[in-house]
Amino acid sequence: MPEYWIGDAEGRVLGPVSLDVVQDLVNTGRLTEITRVSRDGRNWGTPAGFPEVMALLLNAPSPDALLQTERQEAARVREQLRTMQGRPPHEIFRLDRNASVDAYRNAFFKLVKRFYPDRVRAQAHSDLRKAYADAFQFLSRLMVHIERELSTGNHVSPLPMMRAVPPPPPGEDEPLTPIPAPPPQTARPLTVVPRSMTPLPRPMTPLPRSSPLTPDPRRSLLEQTQPLRTSPLDSSFSYQAHEFVGFERRDDRVEVTIRVTARNSRMFTDHPLANLKTDGFFLACAKSLPLGTLVDVIFRFDEERREVRSRGRVILENTGGDPSRPTGFGVRFITLVEQDRRFMQQFVDKTAAH
Amino acid sequence: MSDGPILIVDDDAFVRTLLREMLSEQGHPLREAENGQEALDLEGPPPKVVLLDLLMPEMSGMEALALIRNRWPATPVLVISSMDSDRLVNEALAAGASGYITKPFHPMEIASAVERALAA
Repeated sequence: MPEYWIGDAEGRVLGPVSLDVVQDLVNTGRLTEITRVSRDGRNWGTPAGFPEVMALLLNAPSPDALLQTERQEAARVREQLRTMQGRPPHEIFRLDRNASVDAYRNAFFKLVKRFYPDRVRAQAHSDLRKAYADAFQFLSRLMVHIERELSTGNHVSPLPMMRAVPPPPPGEDEPLTPIPAPPPQTARPLTVVPRSMTPLPRPMTPLPRSSPLTPDPRRSLLEQTQPLRTSPLDSSFSYQAHEFVGFERRDDRVEVTIRVTARNSRMFTDHPLANLKTDGFFLACAKSLPLGTLVDVIFRFDEERREVRSRGRVILENTGGDPSRPTGFGVRFITLVEQDRRFMQQFVDKTAAH
Repeated sequence: MSDGPILIVDDDAFVRTLLREMLSEQGHPLREAENGQEALDLEGPPPKVVLLDLLMPEMSGMEALALIRNRWPATPVLVISSMDSDRLVNEALAAGASGYITKPFHPMEIASAVERALAA
């Protein structure tokens, strides 16, 4: 079988894989940037040097064709969801009636990730987005229901009191109305002007943990990463989308530029969860960013004539629901050069001494 | 079963952190590598399980998979990738992976896969 190595713009390599795999990944949008190709993993060339790869890229579905396909897929998913509702769970997951909770979980994970919201491309048809969200929600609730039923020794019954998904009104699907597309492949710039940090906000206390079935979306991604357990029948997980982690949609990256001064340098020290010692910072500002957002941060230390660039992820946010806490968001660094970290610590120490 | 660590191989530091947080309280020693070459350069006892990304710089996950299977034949390798092509899953399993988990992953899913790999 012919083998290929594929490189992307970030220097990452996939291979050896067959051309069929490359075709799958291009057609589903999983591979959008191919910057280099190799047949042996050592000698590389541009995609133009490989006509068979270029053909895949050139024959990738057009945006209009993708939207049509997505609308048809949305109709299929809605129909699938209507079929699932009311059916015994073991039939939905194609399991034996007496299947174990682990068997249910494994089948659930295989099925539900097909509908994971962020797997939908940013420019996807709105019908598909809605259909996936509904299917994901149904399956998440079903999995919690299964765990409860099994923990009480019952056979698993269909999920009660689920409203049937109504078919779309006639003509609702027409015309195609894709959501506005963000600029692909590039970070969205967002220049954040930090609010004055004086008077200083009271240190924030960790957000309370919510009940397992009503997850608090403000919980940090790392807080909600629970220790591994497999044996309990009722796991206390809600299986909602926010519990699924590790998937990065490249067009979700946001660029944040922050001018750092002595007055706002406490962004690195005052928050108990997001500070320089915990590899992060908390930015008090009117506009927050959603949990999990990948952030390219540029710190401008004008007085020191220095610029520090890093990448991080939003791990907590306060959108203003609690007036006793500053609104804003906390970021944990993913990449921060040690030399830059030392510089920032020295800056913080120096401003604190004054 | 090897007394070695669970080895996490992923170029994304955030993913490594997530997996570390999930696995840390199980009591298994953990080691991390940013790419396949770094994983193969690690010294010490063979890992008891390897969690391996596929799309990485320096050395791809598929290349690393073959070399890891060659160096530590008894160590199960679980691929964790955002690439969800059925054909790629089959090619990874044919190349020696014990399992294939698509990103995003759930803590319970990782727990279950690691336990199955350790029990095999």
